Parts: sequence; structure tokens; C-alpha cells
Amino acid sequence: MKLSVPVGLFNRLSLQLALLNRLPAPVLDKAGALLLAISPILPAEMASALGTFLAPHARPASLAFIKMTAKWATDARNASRNGQKVFLVPFNFPCELIHAFDSATPLTSEVLSTLAAAVGQGEQYWDMAMGLGLPDHLCSANTIELGSMLGSEDFKPQAIISAAPGGCDVNSKIHEFVAHHLGIPQFFLPKPPDDSGRGRKQYALYLRALIAQLEKFLGEELTEDKLRRVLTKANRCTELYYEIWDLHKAVPCPVPNIFSLLLYGTRFTMWGTDEAIKTLETMVKVCKERLARKAYPAEKEVARCLWAYTSYYFDFMGFFNWMEERGYTHLGDGLDLCFPNMVDTSSRESMIEGIAESAWNMPMTRQVGGESMSRSWTEDVIYAAKELKADCVIYCGHHSCKQTWSVVSILRSELTKRTGLPFLILQGDSWMKRMTPMSVIQQEIDEFVRNVVAKKSLKPRKLKDRRKGQDRRKGQPASEDHPPAAGSSG
Amino acid sequence: MLFAGIDIGSLTAEAVVLSDGKILGSEIMSVLPHPLDSAQEVLGRLCSKQGIQWRDIQYTVSTGYGREKLQAEGLAQENISEISCHGLGAWTLCPQVRTVIDIGGQDAKVIKIGAAGELENFVMNDKCAAGTGHFLEVMSRTLGVSLEELGPLSLGSRKPVEMSNRCTIYVETEVIHFLQRGVSKKDVAAGINRAMAERVLALARRVNPEREVMLTGGVAKNVAVKNELERMLNVKVVHAPIDPQVIGAFGAALFARRKAGAG
Amino acid sequence: MDEIIKQSAMIENDHVKKWKRDGGRVVGYICLATPTEIMDAAGLLPFRVRALGNSQTEMADARLSRFNCSFCRSCLQLGLDGTYDFLDGIIETNGCDHLRGMIENWDYAKPFDFLHYLKVPHLADPSSLKYYEEDLRLYKQAIENHFEVTITEAELWNQIQREDRVREKLKTIYEMRERAEPAFTGAEVLSLFLMATAVPAAVREKLLDQAIAERKDYKIRGYKARLLLGGSATDEKDFIQGIESMGGLVVADTLCYGSRAFWPRLNQAKAGDPLQVLAKTYLEELLCPRMFQDFPRRRDFVLAAVERAKVDGVILVHNKFCDVHGVDNVAFRLALEKKGIPVLQLEKEYGASADIGRMKTRVQAFLERIGGPQ
Repeated sequence: MKLSVPVGLFNRLSLQLALLNRLPAPVLDKAGALLLAISPILPAEMASALGTFLAPHARPASLAFIKMTAKWATDARNASRNGQKVFLVPFNFPCELIHAFDSATPLTSEVLSTLAAAVGQGEQYWDMAMGLGLPDHLCSANTIELGSMLGSEDFKPQAIISAAPGGCDVNSKIHEFVAHHLGIPQFFLPKPPDDSGRGRKQYALYLRALIAQLEKFLGEELTEDKLRRVLTKANRCTELYYEIWDLHKAVPCPVPNIFSLLLYGTRFTMWGTDEAIKTLETMVKVCKERLARKAYPAEKEVARCLWAYTSYYFDFMGFFNWMEERGYTHLGDGLDLCFPNMVDTSSRESMIEGIAESAWNMPMTRQVGGESMSRSWTEDVIYAAKELKADCVIYCGHHSCKQTWSVVSILRSELTKRTGLPFLILQGDSWMKRMTPMSVIQQEIDEFVRNVVAKKSLKPRKLKDRRKGQDRRKGQPASEDHPPAAGSSG
Repeated sequence: MLFAGIDIGSLTAEAVVLSDGKILGSEIMSVLPHPLDSAQEVLGRLCSKQGIQWRDIQYTVSTGYGREKLQAEGLAQENISEISCHGLGAWTLCPQVRTVIDIGGQDAKVIKIGAAGELENFVMNDKCAAGTGHFLEVMSRTLGVSLEELGPLSLGSRKPVEMSNRCTIYVETEVIHFLQRGVSKKDVAAGINRAMAERVLALARRVNPEREVMLTGGVAKNVAVKNELERMLNVKVVHAPIDPQVIGAFGAALFARRKAGAG
Repeated sequence: MDEIIKQSAMIENDHVKKWKRDGGRVVGYICLATPTEIMDAAGLLPFRVRALGNSQTEMADARLSRFNCSFCRSCLQLGLDGTYDFLDGIIETNGCDHLRGMIENWDYAKPFDFLHYLKVPHLADPSSLKYYEEDLRLYKQAIENHFEVTITEAELWNQIQREDRVREKLKTIYEMRERAEPAFTGAEVLSLFLMATAVPAAVREKLLDQAIAERKDYKIRGYKARLLLGGSATDEKDFIQGIESMGGLVVADTLCYGSRAFWPRLNQAKAGDPLQVLAKTYLEELLCPRMFQDFPRRRDFVLAAVERAKVDGVILVHNKFCDVHGVDNVAFRLALEKKGIPVLQLEKEYGASADIGRMKTRVQAFLERIGGPQ
């Protein structure tokens, strides 16, 4: 009596992406339009994801992103043929370090889970993990992909890298479980909860030790040239990141909502590669063009929403596009707060220090891997809210996020005291529709924006700077067309 | 010699009496507020129907939620978990059974038993309504059909709807939306039964189910859930030759016989 | 033992009250990675924070969320409602995400007079050990500065040796509970452990000696099965009593309010730089699912305890939302089942009396499985 086992997540996804990868861009564009046309007959979630990606105002960048992701997956699929080993890495790890090796290629577990979730396929892999008796308070972000590895005849990486110890227990433990269960070696980059020089020094030691371990495992030296090749491109990616950051500040926001996801999707997978540069350049081009036209998907930008941590990924259309249609801008979420640094590429030493700095600043590590979770997270959210002129902040409330859930009450207090910005706390599972349906999430966002955010924006806001102890008020007066910019002291 | 088993659940109470190792009779009723009253009533009715006296019963074992109280008050000589009782009861009826799926009104359990009917492993859900009889009750009410109709109604469906959620409350809303959109009752019913089976399967996976599989508990009477489980498990479930709802009490009675040294 | 059991059921027991009355100071700690010898050497009373199954968490739920471990919420509640006002300070560790959140919220709502953050690495490799040793120096300095004391090397060695003796006595107690006719129930051992981590240094050894003497020839018989209890932080005597009331005697444990706190630390060095010695003991020998590259040692610890105590079955418990134990328990279960050892894996709410019924049903079925209802 054999229970049916679904085709492995990676095996299926990589095949589909490999097909897409073969298509030249213009054909992909036409195919994209075709796919959009036939979307009503596709499974609902797949249609939703495609609809979001291929919406005309985002399409050029989305297509570049799809091509990039296809290469990422195909490289992993063909790795052994190309004499490469595949490392499963978490999202908060600087993947450019792996790209720098000739004999290695990275796969990011949470991105795989997100791609599966986007087409409504995450749940079956989650069920496989649950079948082993794993607790249901684990995080679907990794457990979906890891469930597939545990439960089906899916592709297995040669090793797992874990950068979550110090930032997230649940992420750390599930990766450890899988590595052990499958007999795959595991390498670590733990984050000391120590913002001092000692902490940074220790972290750098951990990174150097990791590099040495990887070199030994691969039998390959990570030379200065290899590092420079990738980090020069990573620096270009960083420039583009900040261009997009700055473009977000315009009112109305010219950056399509889905770009928040594309931005960190790029950071977590192909940073430091030509494909990543192409994707980011296309994003910048689209945004600049929209800025010139003052284009906005709705009649009016009603609310500029900063998401404090993750977003919702099981219904892209219902989330990103629905928000846009209502005039709710998605300014970015916690995963965008990776603040990449320009790496000094003059020597191997300076480049490794640069990677250490990048790794330190990866999302989650930077916020809740900090000495004080609440302080680091609050500072980042307030900074972003002010810089990007947010009208409100929303916490997605992903159920398994124990660290952020443990200090969200402090974030709310500080946000209120220091900025007066309205704050919405949702509850759900970012990667699976089972917990809270999208209709309920939409309803809560709607009510919040209409009853709280919109009402607040009718009168000019006084922004208090608690540290300076004075009122500071800058920015435009309220009007119909220009809601007063939140954080306009920025 | 007479032996009895009493199963006091959260919604129903059952009693079984064995005579010379065979079932003399069984009784099912809705529970009364106090487990002792339920026990006295259900066994009382059974004795009365069979023309026997309570004092003629040599040994009684209690099981279910109210089991400890019954033993404490002397209505039963011993209490044994409903898990062991369901396992032994199912195995006695069919010694090839290795997996028992018991879906009651408010909980669900999957029990693995060995070749001699001994308990090997189990998993329970007694926290969440999804995957229990309560889920089907709520949905059948929303659909406007009786609980008994829910299974047969869906048998003709070729396109069961897909429920996105697991939570009973949200599924109820989904059912209403489907009906409002004009989806046929039979397709909605089929989707409900499928969602139920999926939840049960998720539980069953945790104990590596093996054939033969028997369904017990009230929900075993829902033919559509049974069919869905058969499809998902890739096996034909074994039919219980007695009312599946009394298997727990039957197992308790068997234990009573063993404990008294008679079997 | 009766007095020990009575005292261990209080958060602020009579010894602590007397200590405070006499002008003594009490510093709380939560996690096994905290060397208490440093506090003892400073003349403080190191107090292992506990909630003893407290289930009221309304104030704590407004700060920590309902997605956080209820043990931490229970402790936080006791912090917010004044029960822990007798603490003169606390040593925080990054034991787990829930703990970190608990302390941040506690300090945000009711700032501690003294809060020191001891940063424990997740690895025990040489560079981590060195880092942790430096952290111990900072911890020692922080105590000295705030409490205006000087911790001499001699006094530190004195306390290290005392703690060694305490561990040996705990080991003796465990040997007595693991015998064929155990001298202590599992609930009693937990009471002893809770007392040993809530009294002044001078009282600790005496208490344990008393218990050992009193129970020297005591024999518990008539139980159905011998169990090992492992998993999440649990100081709930009621829970263990619930298991034992059904005939399953807990003859061994791998709890952090239990054997993990002392067993791996029995062979501590007897000479050298005391902070280096403590660093090795408290980091290298830290048996906790928060440590990485260390699963085989944890697994072997459980297997060794199972064999030594000749258990019939293992109950692995985790508090709902505890990921570190929730995941480790699955890996332990698989390893134990491979060796043919029956395992019951339980997820429970901490301190919820409503949960007792659910737990008892499962434990009863498990006992029937391993003991057989015949």
C-alpha cells in the first residue's frame, strides 16, 4: 500500500523554468501575453501568479526575472554535468560567495518554497514534512522545500549552508534536521547577538572559517580574481538597489508592487551575476519611465504601505496587484531591508571583509539577529518608513516567525511614539493559504486603510523625533492629489 | 459468562455486552450531561433489551472521555484508553487489519496494530475540528442537508470543489461562496468530503499506515469520505461487520473478558 | 523530602525570603549556559527562573504574542505581576528566540536594575570557545561593577568545586532514581532540582545530602513501566505527576530542568584559569538543541540514559511553538525507534490544565502499548 507522493518541487519547477529559459526574450514576451490570455483556464493560483508577473506595467522586469530564475534553477539542475556541487542556502546568506566558486552553485530554499507557493503547490510538500511528525509551528518558507526533499524523490543538494543560527531558530533547526536526515554535510555562518566590535570580529572569523571549509569541500581555492569577478558585479547590483530605493520615494510611487519581491528574489539567488544586473537594470528602466509619466496603476495613490517583515506569497495577484488596483503602494517589506554595501575589491582581504558586511546586513540577520531584536528592527522600520514616505506600516504576522512576533508589541509602541504611523498587525501564513484566506487579509487591509490611514492623512501630521525632543515638520501640505508624505523629515 | 464494555464519548455513549465471547447486544445513545448517568442509561437500556441484569455482568471495562470517572465510581472494574480498545476491537473483527482510522464527533485517531492486535503506534487530533465529525456537521448544516445525506449526495460529482483552507470556520465561508456562485450542491458536498479525507490522511501519514485499513467511528458511515480515503491510501478499506460506532465499546468488552481471565 | 517538595512549589521559597531579609541579593538566570559559579563567588544567590506551571498569561500575551512559547509567557507574566520583584537583576542569554523576546519585553515594561546579556555561541569550535570565554570575563566584570564586589580567583575556584560536589550529589540522586526499585519518583526529582537551583550555595549541598540520606533504602514498586522524559523546558511537577499517576514512573530524564544541567559537566577540569574552565564546561558540554554540529552527541546522551536506566519507553515533550525541541524530538524519535525503543512524542501547552486530559489519554495509551493492558 503506497501513499501517492507528488513529484518533487525542485524537479518540477526546474523543468518548467528550463523550458522558459530556452525561449529568447521577444518570444517569451509573446508567450507571456499568450499565457496571460489563457490564464482563465489554468489552475487559479498559477493564473494569479502569471497574471501578476505578466501584468503589462511590470512585464519587462518580470520576464528578465523569470529568465534569471530559470538560469539559477537550470544551473543547479545541470550542476553535476558541469562539474559543480549544489549548495542549499537560506535567503539570508550572500549567495555571491557561492557564485564566486567555479565548482559550486547555490539554490535558495525559501525562494523555491515561494515559487511553489505562488502556484498553489506548497501545501502538499508541507504535508510530507508533517507526515514525519514535525510540528506544525515550523516555518512554511523552508519547510515546503525541505518537505519535498524529505518526502519525495526530489533533487538533493550536495551540502547545506545555514546562516540562520542567531537570527531564527526554526530556520536553523529544520535545515539541520534535513541535513542530518539525508546525510548531507552542513556548514554554518552563525550570527552572534553582539553589535560591538567583538561581535563583528567573531562573525568575520566565522565567515573565514566557512570559506576555508567550502574550499576544502570543493577542492577549489577562492582566489582574488574569482572574488573580484563576482563582487564587481555585486557592486553594480548594489548601485541599482539604491536607485530603486530612491525611486520608491517619489509620489506617486513609480515602482510596481511586485518589484519588492523581484528585488529580494534577485538578492537571494543571483546577486553578482549578469542576469541579476539585467533584471535590476530593467526594473530601474521601467520605474524611470513610469516616473517620467507619473504613471500609477490606480487613479490615486491612497496609501503608501511599508511591510515590516514578509509579505504574502500564496496569491500574488490577490496581494500585490489587488493592492495596486486600490491605490495601496507596497513600498517594500523587511526582506528588502538588506542595505547592500559597496565592496572594496582591491584585495582578497578587503573583499572578504566586504562579504562579511553584506552577510551581516542580510535581512533577518540584521534585524532580529541583532543584540536587541526590537531595537534593530525598529530602527530599520522607522528609517525605511521615513525615507520612503510611508503612510502606514503593516506586519504580515506570519505565524511561525517567533522572533518578530515576540517583539512586535515593542515595534508598535516605538513606531507610535516616534512617528505616529498607523500600524496593522495581521495573522496568517505567508506561504500557505490554509491559515488565513486572502479575502480576509484583503478585508483587514481595506478596513485599516479606509478607517485609519486615510483618515489620518486628512490632516498634516506632526512628526516627533523623540531623540531630539522637538516637533519637526517638513513636506507638502495635505491636498487631494498629494497625501502628506509620511516621514517627510527624511 | 457476560462481559461489558462502555464507551463514553463527548457526543455519544455506547455499550456492548459479550456472552461466551460473542456479541450479545449493543446500544448507542447521545450522552447525558454526566458520564455516570450516560453509563447507567446506555448499559441499562442494553440489559433491558437483552433481558439481563447488570449484576450478571462479570467484568466491565470503561473507555472514552468518561472512563476514569466510571471506574472511580465502581461502574467499571477498569478503564482502558479508547485507542487500545479500538485497536483490539477492529483486529478481533478482522485479524488482517493493521491500521484503524477512527473519526469521531470531536476527535480523530489513527491506530497501528500488530499481528496479535497489540497497539504499536497511534496519533490523535483532539484539538482541531477539521478532520472530525464536527467539520461534517457544520458543513452539512451550511449545505442544508442532513449529515446522513452528505456522503451519498456527493457520489455523482465529477468536479469536486477545492477548499483552500483547513479551518472549519473559513471552509464554511467558502461553502457559502460556492453556493452563491451557483456551484451544484453535489460538487460542494464532494469537496467537503474530500477536504475531510485530506485532513485525515495528513494525520494518518504520521504513523505510516499499512493495509488492511478499517474505518471506525461515526464518520465511517459517510460513503464519500470512505471512497476518498481509499483513493488516497490506494487501498480498499475493510468493512466492519458491526456498527463502526460501537467498535470502541466492543474492544472494551473484549478487554473485560481478557482481564477476567476468560480469554 | 516533604519540606523540599513544599518549598519547591513556591517561586520565592523561604530560603530566598530569608536571604533577602538578611540583605542578600538574588540574580535570576534562565538558561543552562549561564555559569552560576560567578554569581555564587560574588556572594549572590543565582536563581533559576521558573513558572511552575503558572497558566495565567494575560499581561504577558499583550507583549509576547500567542505564537510564543507559553513557558516564556508564564515567566514573563510572573515578572510583570510582581512575583519576581525579589530579583535584583537578571542574566540574559540568547537561549532561544522566545527567551530573547521574553527578556526584551520584560525589560521594556519593567526595566531591570541589572541586566547583563551573556552571548552564547551556537557552535563550540575553538573560536567560539574563545569568544565565550571573553564573554564570561565581561559577565564577571559586569557583576563586580554593579554589585560592587570583587570576585577573586580563589573564591571562583571555591564555587567551582562546590558546584562539582553538587553535581556529584545530583548524580547520586539520579543513580538512586534509576535503580530497579527507584528511590525517587520523577516528580520528586524535579522538586529537588528546582530547589537546588533556588537556594543559597551553602544550603544546596545540605539539601541534597538530606534527600540522599532519607531515601537511601527507599523502594518504589508496583509501577507499570519505566519511562524517560525528555524535551522542552518544563518545570511542571503536575505534568510529571499526571504521567506517574497512571503507573508510568519517570526513572530518567534528559530535561534542562534535569540531567542536562549537570550530567555532561561531571568531568570538569580541576585546575587552570577558572574562566577558561567554566567556558569549556558551559559551552563545550552544553547539551541543548540550540547548539549546532552537535546532534549526534545529544542523541547519544538520550540513548545512553535509556540504556542505563533500563527504560521501557521514552516520552518526548515539547511546548507548543518550541521549534528547537519540537524538531530535535522528531530526530530523537527516529533514532530511538530504529533501536526498537518505543517513543511517545507529545506537543503540549505549558501549564494549561485543560491540556492534562489530552496528555493523559495519550500517555495511558502509550503505557498500555509498552506495558500491555494484558
